Amino acid sequence: MAGKAKESAVDLAKFIDKGVRVKLAGGREVQGILKGYDQLLNLVIDEAVEYLRDPEDPLTVTDETRSLGLLVCRGTAVMLVAPSAGMEEIANPFLQAKDGEQAAEGDDE
Amino acid sequence: MLPLSLLKTAQRHGVLVELKNGETYNGYLQHCDTWMNLHLSEVICTSKDGQRFFKMPEAYIRGNTIKYISVPEEVVDKVQEENLRRDEKRPTVAGRGRGGRSWSGGRGEGGGGRGEGGGRGRGEAGRGRGRGRS
Repeated sequence: MAGKAKESAVDLAKFIDKGVRVKLAGGREVQGILKGYDQLLNLVIDEAVEYLRDPEDPLTVTDETRSLGLLVCRGTAVMLVAPSAGMEEIANPFLQAKDGEQAAEGDDE
Repeated sequence: MLPLSLLKTAQRHGVLVELKNGETYNGYLQHCDTWMNLHLSEVICTSKDGQRFFKMPEAYIRGNTIKYISVPEEVVDKVQEENLRRDEKRPTVAGRGRGGRSWSGGRGEGGGGRGEGGGRGRGEAGRGRGRGRS
């Protein structure tokens, strides 16, 4: 019973030894190879690379990077974990897709 | 209707999540837990200024960074359906465990409004713990 309640939304096991992109509280973004994690979402990331932000515009990350090597990310600071494979910047998908998306959501059920 | 029970019902539906930092994430909600941590698939991330868009196959979002979640209208109907279904099931569940009786007794006195929608979400997630404490 307790096990069910504590069940976590994500299984990071499938990301082990794979590239992950991590967004941290405060705005930093790190990409690297996930080597380990725990239930508090502390992460071990190898070959970590931080994507620097534009000093003029700290909201957006640039392609500029700095290497951080082997990293332990504290779980409380982790906002988002996503596989780096398949992640790409795209054109605004909502301009033309808006109607299509609503239809798709309707079809979902 | 509890927030988390609505969210649980919204699983496999398309949702929009805005984080505290202003970024929004559109995607299909695959899983959520009691901390509102979310697992989304087919995600489109929109930057705070709404000018840049990123596609990712899936993403895990930590619950405490969420500002709000927009769920499709039809989920509301489902949540009520499920509430009814679980209400029917409840009597068999209620007798189980030591604290169960006093818990449900308290709810009965407390008022019908609460019992109707309120007991539900907790039955899933928090029940084990709540009972232990009492």
